[in-house]
Amino acid sequence: MKDASLVSKNSITRTLFEDFDGIELESGINLGPLRVAYETYGKLSESRDNVVLVLHALSGDAHAAGINQNGRVGWWDEMIGPGKGIDTEKYFVICSNCLGGCKGTTGPPSINPLAGKPYGRSFPRITIGDMVNVQSMLIDRLGIDKLHSVVGGSMGGMQALDWATRFPNRVRSAVVIAATARLSPQGIAFNWVGRNAIYSDPISACGAPEVNSELVRMGRGLAVARMIGHITYLSEEIMEHKFGRKLTLTDMDGIRYSLGENDSSGGEFEVESYLQHQGAKFMERFDEDSYITITKAIDHFDLEGQYGDLVTAFKSVKSKLLVLSFTSDWLYPTSMSLAIVRALQASKKDVSFVEVDMPFGHDSFLISAAMPKLTRIIRGFLNGVQRDG
Amino acid sequence: MCKEMVEIRTPFHEFEAGFNIIIELITPGTRVLDLGCGTGTLLSRLRDEKDVEVCGVELDQEKVIRCIERGIRVMALDLDQGLEGFPDLSYEYVVLSRTLQQLMNPEALVKEMLRVGSKSIITFPNFGHWKIMLEYALTGKTPVSSTHPHPWYNTPDIHRLTINDFRSFIRQIGAKIEKEIFILDNKPRKEMLWPNRRAEWGCCLISAY
Repeated sequence: MKDASLVSKNSITRTLFEDFDGIELESGINLGPLRVAYETYGKLSESRDNVVLVLHALSGDAHAAGINQNGRVGWWDEMIGPGKGIDTEKYFVICSNCLGGCKGTTGPPSINPLAGKPYGRSFPRITIGDMVNVQSMLIDRLGIDKLHSVVGGSMGGMQALDWATRFPNRVRSAVVIAATARLSPQGIAFNWVGRNAIYSDPISACGAPEVNSELVRMGRGLAVARMIGHITYLSEEIMEHKFGRKLTLTDMDGIRYSLGENDSSGGEFEVESYLQHQGAKFMERFDEDSYITITKAIDHFDLEGQYGDLVTAFKSVKSKLLVLSFTSDWLYPTSMSLAIVRALQASKKDVSFVEVDMPFGHDSFLISAAMPKLTRIIRGFLNGVQRDG
Repeated sequence: MCKEMVEIRTPFHEFEAGFNIIIELITPGTRVLDLGCGTGTLLSRLRDEKDVEVCGVELDQEKVIRCIERGIRVMALDLDQGLEGFPDLSYEYVVLSRTLQQLMNPEALVKEMLRVGSKSIITFPNFGHWKIMLEYALTGKTPVSSTHPHPWYNTPDIHRLTINDFRSFIRQIGAKIEKEIFILDNKPRKEMLWPNRRAEWGCCLISAY
């Protein structure tokens, strides 16, 4: 076997862009111009039948695999690459930043041409369906008619489900990981608390301040939102294992140690400093208005409500589906995956289902330790999808 | 079911006769649901030899992954939870091979099988075999045999049933046995004198009245 990591290390992956006049959102509003950031890995076959579209979760971006010019490794590099679960020697993999994001695709940080400044909170309400429509415009532009598979976890799983539901003739298969056909009230509640943290942030309260101003550095709303998110992505078991009740000691002068005080120095328990760190990191790399826009889209995702019931929603599904849930995921628990599976079964669709035994919570599909098992499952499933189907 | 228990089940090569019988009973081009499908050996044979549309149900994670790797459609579900979600009469055949004796509630599942499939095929080890019965009578202890390879205190085979038990059970739940095949020394027999005492395995094709 080739050394997969070596191959991806040698080539720098670059984010590409496609520009469109605009898109009519599901709400009827026209949004334009529209730019889509995406990356591709592997080689498109002559018959253009080897395309796998990878769909990122809430905080992801187009950089799914390889190393980019900033030295950053893609968010699913362990799954996508030569010889990996989604084998780039076989498949042409596309990953695009979602609509409403802040990583190159049009979203709240983009300039609103009518106002001459970023949309910010005036960015129109978008849906998971809108995100999928933008992805479909992108693959049209790339001259691709039919996808071998759409693969996504969490919000990406919602998109994969939406793809299979609304574009039955364009997707041969879909892998829906740790997702749901309708966000639970519990999920909406956590998102609401996250948005509230942003809304009650002082910088939000007094409009958009200058970049790098004192207020921006004070503002912690997005960090708090991220901390809440992180708690919901992990499991009780993994928190116990990773942090326990360990304290974080700060060396004062070689003799005395400080246990730290909350807020000022990152917390006294290790779990606190972990969350503090995640929050701070997120402040640097994400946009709060994108966070609001995307979580709103997730909240409103409800195929059941949209079609009356799930069986009706999945009537026209033609793709082979693989639905995966994780034993320790309490945010999008197995019962939600089973609701999808049972509705598909009711109309005799080709669906496989595995509740994968993983202790890492909702985020299991992004955790290194989960990769060997997930790799076998996803590789096996993609292999079993007929190209002529 | 705990792993070490499952692994010391009758190995596949010793039960090929059982699989052959099932494959023979199935009409080509139909839909088959295999409950407790293991790594998908029977289903991949059915798919390749009989052009059957297959689906398996299995709880053991490692086996489920093997099924997916073989391109077999599979659902990781616990049979003791029933077959909720499988529509009525959505399969021509529902197979339960070497699993009946391991279920918490065989009656509930067999009724579910009759709901989901037009016909069901069930194979099970016969505890009425004369050697087992003789050992039981002579020693007064639960025998360990090739068909029941585990001691009573650590076994997935929580029910010890005989061919006569099965016959009256099927009558009692209002179903009928359409075909009976018995296995002795890895050979299938359609006719057998005193099967309850002589067969090692029973294989029945059943349907609802």
